[in-house]
Amino acid sequence: MASADIKGFFRQKKGGVSKKPASSSRKKSGKSSVGTICLPEPAETPALMAHGKVDRQDEYGDGDEKLNQFDMEMRYGPCVGLSRLERWERACSMGLNPPPEIGNLLRSLSSSNPKLECLWEGRV
Amino acid sequence: MDGATIEDGEMKLFERKQAIYKSLDEKYLVHGQRYKGQQYSQIYFARLHHLRNLLHSLVTKWKPHLEVITVLGLEESRECVIVGTIYKHMKLKPCILDEYSKERTAVPLVKPHNFLHPDDQLILEDEIGRVKLRGSLLNPTDFVTGIGLALHGMKTIEGDFLVQDLLEAGFPPQTKLPRLGEDKYVVFVSGLNVGSNIFNPLQFQLFVDHVTGHLGGDNEQKMTSQIVRVVIAGNSVIIPHSVLNGQALTPEDQRKLTEPIKEVDILLTQLAAAVPLDIMPGPTDPANSFLPQQPLHRCLFPGASSYNTFFSCTNPHQFELDGFQFLGTSGQNIDDLDKYSSAQTKLEFVERTLRWRHLAPTAPNTLGCYPFTEKDPFFIENCPNVYFVGNQDKYETVLLHGPEEQQVRLVCIPRFSESGVAVMLNLRDLNCHALNFSADLDS
Repeated sequence: MASADIKGFFRQKKGGVSKKPASSSRKKSGKSSVGTICLPEPAETPALMAHGKVDRQDEYGDGDEKLNQFDMEMRYGPCVGLSRLERWERACSMGLNPPPEIGNLLRSLSSSNPKLECLWEGRV
Repeated sequence: MDGATIEDGEMKLFERKQAIYKSLDEKYLVHGQRYKGQQYSQIYFARLHHLRNLLHSLVTKWKPHLEVITVLGLEESRECVIVGTIYKHMKLKPCILDEYSKERTAVPLVKPHNFLHPDDQLILEDEIGRVKLRGSLLNPTDFVTGIGLALHGMKTIEGDFLVQDLLEAGFPPQTKLPRLGEDKYVVFVSGLNVGSNIFNPLQFQLFVDHVTGHLGGDNEQKMTSQIVRVVIAGNSVIIPHSVLNGQALTPEDQRKLTEPIKEVDILLTQLAAAVPLDIMPGPTDPANSFLPQQPLHRCLFPGASSYNTFFSCTNPHQFELDGFQFLGTSGQNIDDLDKYSSAQTKLEFVERTLRWRHLAPTAPNTLGCYPFTEKDPFFIENCPNVYFVGNQDKYETVLLHGPEEQQVRLVCIPRFSESGVAVMLNLRDLNCHALNFSADLDS
């Protein structure tokens, strides 16, 4: 039954999303009997996979958390439509003093790294 | 520019005066921008950022005893100041969703002129939230969406904000007005509308001949030799609508499409040969439709663009002439204000944009605009000496004096095809007068 694993499915801790939801939902579908509703696994919904983006939840680290916080910070303006580095540089030129470590982190990433784009890139 | 006096047979040669020109259109150019899929939230953020910094510094002098807080920090019955962008909720504003509405209510007939309604409401928005504005101080007919304001008031029990006082950004600072010892004139004209059935070629030819010095006696020629620049503020060409129905063009239609611009080129070649010329695109010209309109391409003017006196400019257009600052548009910003707010005269709208420090506050809400991410180019940083608006109904002008000794000449340039009026501005004293051209052979 799905209810036994509801807590696992909606596992959302402050400071990090659960590391391996894929394995837990696989376990869930194994246990389901005829007549139960299988909730779709978050990592494999077609909409997310269609863009071919790497599932961020696998490599969720401290840096990611900082970058997401940077995206969500309303002081620096909307995050959709700009790359993170552009938004950081815009915040610098507007005199908003964004944390320099974010700028260093973004500049150190290779150009194809998905962390360069904002959280909602390709998803909205 | 020769002139001959009949009495003594001497040829008097008048030399045209020169003025140092510097174009400041850099910030209106779009070619360096890359569209990354952004939406208009970015340009609103840039606008709020600039206006908020400005207003914060003004608020400390305006209400030093009050605190500036964000919309979400409002507490009931606590006087405070909030800063944000105005949003005007308008009942009659055309909305694309109305077409899909299933209910066929008895919608009041939309007035073609403007969309004002007594039930319009003002809302203040900052990055985090919005609050409805109440109070008799703010009359919604005077405001439009997109203005940055600071408001003093308090939150009411219903959750609205009761406005007790308001602060606009005010006139921008102005660099000291240069002193000119001699008369130098700038001629403004707009709305030639070549290609429409109201265009009278003789009338504009008269204008060209006058400005190039082919007409009149010594006095007139002396005066026209003092014209240092001609500025054409938009709508030089109008494409007949019968051609724009989406069907393939017959050779006859193609000629209808290209004839007007060729005619304009012939006329502009004559002008450019004699006097430095600025041409701005307008709503009916073959340029992009959203603001800032990019300069009309050189290939449209094969004759005129071969002269180095020919300048194709953006709309809005900003330039410096002998140290005088000029700023102007082809009229879209003021016409849009006219649809969503009301005033006694068009000049009042122009003055309001200067007090709000923003050329086109309704962009991008109801006026098409490029989605800039890093800046809002319509923000007026420095007060111009001359602020002109083209394609208006009639010629109007006023000299405004700002609180910090700014002096601005506001000019509304009428449509030449309808009125035959061009405007002549004297740089020495910022006085303006109208040039009337009539080619009516019947009168």
